[in-house]
Amino acid sequence: MLVSKNKGTNLLRSSEKSSLVRFLALYIVLVTILLLLLGIFYYQSQEKLMFAEQRTTLSNHANTQVKALKHLHYEFPNSTTYPRDGKFYSAIYDIEGKKVFSTLKNRDINFEKEIYRTGDSIHFLKSLDDYYLGAKYLFIEVQEDLSWRDETIRNIITFGTLTLIVLGIFGFFFMKIFLRPMKNSIMLLDDFIKDTTHELNTPISAILANIEMMDMSTITQKNQKKLSRINIAAKTVSHLYQDLTYLTLNHNRVTKDEWIDLKQLFQDRVDYFAILAGSKKINFELDLKEATLFIDGVKIARVMDNLISNAIKYNKRNGNIFIVLRKNYLSIQDTGIGIESDKPMEIFERYTRFNTSEGGFGIGLNIVKSIIEEYKLEIGVESIVNVGTTIRIDFKKGTSSE
Amino acid sequence: MLEQPLELILKKELLVSKKIIGAGLLISMSFFASANTNVYERNCIPCHRYQPASLEKLFMEYLKTYSGELSLKGALKGFLQNPTEKNSLMNDKFIENFSVKDKTILDEKKLDEALDTYWELYNVKNKLK
Repeated sequence: MLVSKNKGTNLLRSSEKSSLVRFLALYIVLVTILLLLLGIFYYQSQEKLMFAEQRTTLSNHANTQVKALKHLHYEFPNSTTYPRDGKFYSAIYDIEGKKVFSTLKNRDINFEKEIYRTGDSIHFLKSLDDYYLGAKYLFIEVQEDLSWRDETIRNIITFGTLTLIVLGIFGFFFMKIFLRPMKNSIMLLDDFIKDTTHELNTPISAILANIEMMDMSTITQKNQKKLSRINIAAKTVSHLYQDLTYLTLNHNRVTKDEWIDLKQLFQDRVDYFAILAGSKKINFELDLKEATLFIDGVKIARVMDNLISNAIKYNKRNGNIFIVLRKNYLSIQDTGIGIESDKPMEIFERYTRFNTSEGGFGIGLNIVKSIIEEYKLEIGVESIVNVGTTIRIDFKKGTSSE
Repeated sequence: MLEQPLELILKKELLVSKKIIGAGLLISMSFFASANTNVYERNCIPCHRYQPASLEKLFMEYLKTYSGELSLKGALKGFLQNPTEKNSLMNDKFIENFSVKDKTILDEKKLDEALDTYWELYNVKNKLK
């Protein structure tokens, strides 16, 4: 199904971005490990190649030295000068591994390997058939030419980095392809909400306006209760409408930041939700001090409405809502069902709800989060299951009257 | 029998005394000389002095075949205690001309002592420069 893109909905959710980042990080780590392993294999193969090249030369040196040792053996003790060559150093060891004579610069020898690197030298071991001067083992030492190593490391870094970049780009596009079905589903839902939102405005406004205009004195007490329920239901739908409008149409609205009297705003919103709270016999306890915040009025109203309506929605009957307002923070605490402790911040994801026991789209707190992030405020959640949830918003210096 | 003059008698006695003292000195000197030589010099050198292959050449041959101190001494000890054509390093012609040597009469301790001396005398380690 084709899904139209629009400015309000084509942004990735933070969870999608987080998934993308995690996938890419894992992908890059795995690719890096793979490239490192390939680099190690390449290095080892180059080292073997170097040893193979060196082996021929060193074997020739060893043969030269054996001839010299043989000559000395039969001349001994008339001649006692150990044979030396300007091209290499050498040492002879007897069958028991005891040194007979050595001119080696690097004395760290290994009887197990034919050719090996030690320090900046290469050692070649030849086992003799005739033990001239008692020598069973002949070691030949030459200085290692390190140019192969520099070139190998340079190749590993260059090709490794290029491959990593190319594979990283592939990974990014693969991830986009994998995420597309999920993204399309979300966009479909967003579009549906946007389309239906337009159809809600007129009937809700009509219902609420007519309820306000009714003369309550002419209505029986029984009907007043029914009317109150209609009022609550209409306000609930109105609140949902406000959220949906904000979510889908906010980008068309010009933000107008100004100093907002938070105490007054809280009192207004508490009055607005009083009937809704009263339906669950929930009591408000306000501890409000004077506080102002430099923010868009519509946006801070959405924050408060959503926090208060959630505190009502997820509260127990006969519960309490404690609202504290200070110059540098506000907090709303309920006595409701709470949230599982390992995922308190997930409630701010769109379409995530406290639990499925209550209705809703799960967009309210996502709106709160987006506004909080826009104004660089700090939000924190503390929750204990079946005890309650506290949401606290700290104001950034300069945006509040502190 | 003619009586010998006293002077002549005294001269003869003096001559006998000198001979006795001289003989005593010779015996003592040979005794001390024997005490100062080791097992190797007393038991190996005297025979090998007249052999065509010197002890040094033989050592180098053993060194070329057995390499290390322990293996050389072990092989040589085995040969000296039980000399056969098979475990001799000499070539067939040599053995044909001179045959294999007799079994050593030295006990194990003295044989080890002789071999230690032999190794110390000819091993190349401290002589190479």
